[in-house]
Amino acid sequence: MTEPLLSVSDLEVEFDTYGGTIHAVRGVNFDVHAGKTLAIVGESGCGKSVTVQSIMGLIPVPPGRITSGTAMLSGHDILQSSTVNGQDIRGDRIGMIFQDPMTSLNPTMNIGSQIAETLIVHRGYTRKQAFQRAVELLDLSKIPEADKRARQYPFEFSGGMLQRAMIAMAIACEPDILIADEPTTALDVTIQAQILDLLTDLQRENGMAIVLITHDLGVVARMADEVMVMYAGEVVEEGTVDEIFYNPGHPYTVGLKAAMPTNNPDTDLRLTPIDGSPPDLFDPPPGCGYCARCPEAMQICKDTPPDTFQLADGHTARCWLHHEGRQAAQT
Amino acid sequence: MAESTAQANQFAPLETTEAVQTISRPSLSYWQDAWIRLKANGRAIFSLYLVIGLVGFTLAGPVIWNVDPAAQDVDQISLPPGAARVVTLVPESSSWAGGSATGSGLHFAEPPTTQHVRLAWDAVPAAAEYRVYRTTYSIGPERALGLPLFETTETYFEDLLDLRPRNYFYSVVPIDTTGQEMDTFETIEGTLERVITESEARDRGLLLPGETAPMGTTYTLKWHPLGTDYLGRDMLARLMHGARVSLFIGFLAPILYVLFGVVYGSTAGFIGGATDQVLMRFADFVVALPFLLFMILFKVVFAVGPGESGIMPMLLAMVLLLWPATARLVRGQILQIREEGYISASRLLGAGTGYLVLRHMIPNTMGVILVTITFAVPSAIFTEAFLSFIGMGVAPPTPSWGSMCNEGIKTMLTTPHELIFPALFISITVLAFNLLGDGLRDALDARMRNRE
Amino acid sequence: MGRYAGKRIVQGIITVWFIATATFFAMHAVPGDPLSGEKAMTEQIQSNLKAKYGLDQPLMTQYAIYLANIARGDFGISFTQENRSVNDIIKEHFPVSATLGILAIFFAGLGGVLWGALTALYRNRLPDTIIMFLVILGISVPSFVIAALGQLSIVNLNDLTGISWLPIGGWGTVWHMIVPSLVLGLSTMAYLTRLMRSSMLEIVSADFVRTARSKGLPPTQIFTRHQLRNAILPVITVLGPSIAAITTGGFVVEIIFAIPGLGRYFVQAVQQLDYTVIMGTTVFYGGFLVIMVILVDLIYGLIDPRVRLE
Repeated sequence: MTEPLLSVSDLEVEFDTYGGTIHAVRGVNFDVHAGKTLAIVGESGCGKSVTVQSIMGLIPVPPGRITSGTAMLSGHDILQSSTVNGQDIRGDRIGMIFQDPMTSLNPTMNIGSQIAETLIVHRGYTRKQAFQRAVELLDLSKIPEADKRARQYPFEFSGGMLQRAMIAMAIACEPDILIADEPTTALDVTIQAQILDLLTDLQRENGMAIVLITHDLGVVARMADEVMVMYAGEVVEEGTVDEIFYNPGHPYTVGLKAAMPTNNPDTDLRLTPIDGSPPDLFDPPPGCGYCARCPEAMQICKDTPPDTFQLADGHTARCWLHHEGRQAAQT
Repeated sequence: MAESTAQANQFAPLETTEAVQTISRPSLSYWQDAWIRLKANGRAIFSLYLVIGLVGFTLAGPVIWNVDPAAQDVDQISLPPGAARVVTLVPESSSWAGGSATGSGLHFAEPPTTQHVRLAWDAVPAAAEYRVYRTTYSIGPERALGLPLFETTETYFEDLLDLRPRNYFYSVVPIDTTGQEMDTFETIEGTLERVITESEARDRGLLLPGETAPMGTTYTLKWHPLGTDYLGRDMLARLMHGARVSLFIGFLAPILYVLFGVVYGSTAGFIGGATDQVLMRFADFVVALPFLLFMILFKVVFAVGPGESGIMPMLLAMVLLLWPATARLVRGQILQIREEGYISASRLLGAGTGYLVLRHMIPNTMGVILVTITFAVPSAIFTEAFLSFIGMGVAPPTPSWGSMCNEGIKTMLTTPHELIFPALFISITVLAFNLLGDGLRDALDARMRNRE
Repeated sequence: MGRYAGKRIVQGIITVWFIATATFFAMHAVPGDPLSGEKAMTEQIQSNLKAKYGLDQPLMTQYAIYLANIARGDFGISFTQENRSVNDIIKEHFPVSATLGILAIFFAGLGGVLWGALTALYRNRLPDTIIMFLVILGISVPSFVIAALGQLSIVNLNDLTGISWLPIGGWGTVWHMIVPSLVLGLSTMAYLTRLMRSSMLEIVSADFVRTARSKGLPPTQIFTRHQLRNAILPVITVLGPSIAAITTGGFVVEIIFAIPGLGRYFVQAVQQLDYTVIMGTTVFYGGFLVIMVILVDLIYGLIDPRVRLE
């Protein structure tokens, strides 16, 4: 495999709240490869957004705190400083789009200027050049009448159009990596498909890597090359999209799949929810975080955190089910 | 063998003893939750105690400190708290025609007392007349000599004018034949002793009828814990009675106009359509009226007759002018709640309008209304104080904190306590309600509930 | 924007009419006849008034005359000062009040935005604690007490140093304006600081600020273009009411500092029951405040495209 673009290892993030310290991310490792899409999957509050936001230096400090880990981008740890040679890698090497396009753009600036800002800062364009380029980018993002639209304000755009504008803004400096934090969650289903298509097209043209955060396995199946499943601040399973879908190695992944609607007429039409709720991250359980909800939980799961087991090439799962002792116990 | 059994046990299925579907935190009602939040806010609780204390001061105070706020103590005028209250019995004053030889230059012919100050000085050869000045400040380079008391051709002067037991500076400036003040002048400083004559002592009840006392006997005058004002009225008693006026207006006016606003706003919001449009347009106009100007205007319109306090007109004017803000707020809330899913759900289950209003609308707007009232109290107190201060508020002799400030500011430089005490009470009250309002808003804000 | 401005101006004219009407009928509801009351009045004034207002006419005719006069910008003749028109009084005294008010609103706005932004940036740290304590004091102490304290501090300053740094009262030079306008602006400044702080705190965690940071913009640019510009909006919306508060607050400051402004004159007129001056200045002030509110709305429209383009 080629050298990764971005390599995150051992990331831990905590938040101080009135109720105590939340251990939001607990030792996460992953690599991002050029031209590939990595999907981070998990339910709300599992730490997906915190993971990417800490890489981008976007978690508010305080109350947030990165307690350990590195994120290497071109030999530079971007957790320490997001600037390289005085140049901010954010917006330049890594672009980001957010979940709710309606609130993620400055309501008092026109769209074109907001895109142009990035170019002025990172590329040293003049105001006029930058605005011209912004119009081109909007056009590239398939916004009709881009030159007129660039002069409009966010409230004059629909949600889908705003997300396109966000994408135009994020790719303005042709970044190596585009982080998309639930880019379609706030949009209509029909618009969702268009936005995903746009992302795929842009990736094909620019060869950038995409880190896609979602809780929608449908989106994962459509977009991802690799999948990382997170639960309670930890990565529980990681592998190629085919491995994850056809050969899931962690009960949580299995549960997620069972909860996903399909159009396969052979399957039982009833969806199976995962009972209960994630553990309290004020005081994470000593063993496996999924233990309390796991249908296959064992004595060991309660107190001993599971090891990482290699299931196939590039497919790992953190679950005691794959321990040889379990096989032995079953027979 | 044992080891492998242990390992096998480890991989035995876990008995699910605890239910997965437990809710880890107890559920609380809206008001319980709000109360817990409020209790956690130290400043708000402190303010709550302050407010309770103020109400107690107002209601129970006059019973404990039973002094007539209008009674004048003419022996103790503009007296700061803690001033000496000892008074010495002296003979009745007799007229004085100068002629004390002791001393030279400007001097007191007799020890100065509150009964009289007798000055004598040496004649200046070129002077035709002498002008006598008095001030309570030391005389600086600016030669501010104070109040010109008298012009005389003699070389003595007796000051009987409004003497207080404090420090005075007397200056005597010679005037030449052309009527011009000469450059040279003399100043003398003296502290006046508080004295009382026998007839005055009888008058005050210090000396019973038929009783006599030798000259030089000392008495202790009535105690005024916070001093007296410029008419010798007890400050504490006036503050207590003033609190009644200020808090009466401060509480009642907001409650009345918020109530009116709630009825008006919920009517508009609930009926909707053209009625709503007309009602709210009218509210817009009332909002546009410059509030304090119209308060003053109404004061003129309701021309307060003699012997009236002017409290009711002020109350009425406030209610007339201030309801629209609440009306808008409540209307907005009602419109918002009307669209909520649970209202539709309730309607589907057959709830009538009255039930909807009582069970859903009012409880859900209660928080906002409560916060509005809390913030309206200090602004009503401010308004009363402002109006009374510019002489448009409560008519004298009824005390209110504002009118006491108005009176106190005139003697701000000499007797600051007359301004400080009422100003302090206004400030503390307003502060307490502001902090309480902040606390309540934070406690009742639904947005905050979901955080943490 | 043009249509929006036009709409606001029409609304403003209707509001002024409403204020004038309310003033007129309020004054005519005064027990007895206010225009021929027991007040001693010279023949000259009596005849002037009769000619001016057609006092024998029915109420509605008087109302029509009154409105027509106001439409022409004629507020009538003083009751207590012979041959002095209310217009003259306003012309003479209003510029003083306006100067004082403009300075005060300038101090208040500038200070409010500055302190508010500062406290939000230093949230829960020492500068925040100190400023917010002062703000709470500023909101809780009545304006006349602040004015009195302001004057007292001038007296003490002059006394201590033995030099007259600042005049205790009166009007004329820049030195006369400093303390009164500061005192006048203080409580508004405190209020605006609070507002700016909470608005700033909300903006700091806003999604679009996060977006701006994800674009790698320099912190100063994020602060000025994204945070300040949006955080200032609620402050601008309350500038209208703030101007009203400062205008009426001016009454007290003018009285205490012996400044010959319209506010002091108005209070005097009320005490002397000079009806025409009361009515005239009320309508004038009302109109002035309406114009200010419209101006503020237009400024708001310039900053917030959502209002402008509606």
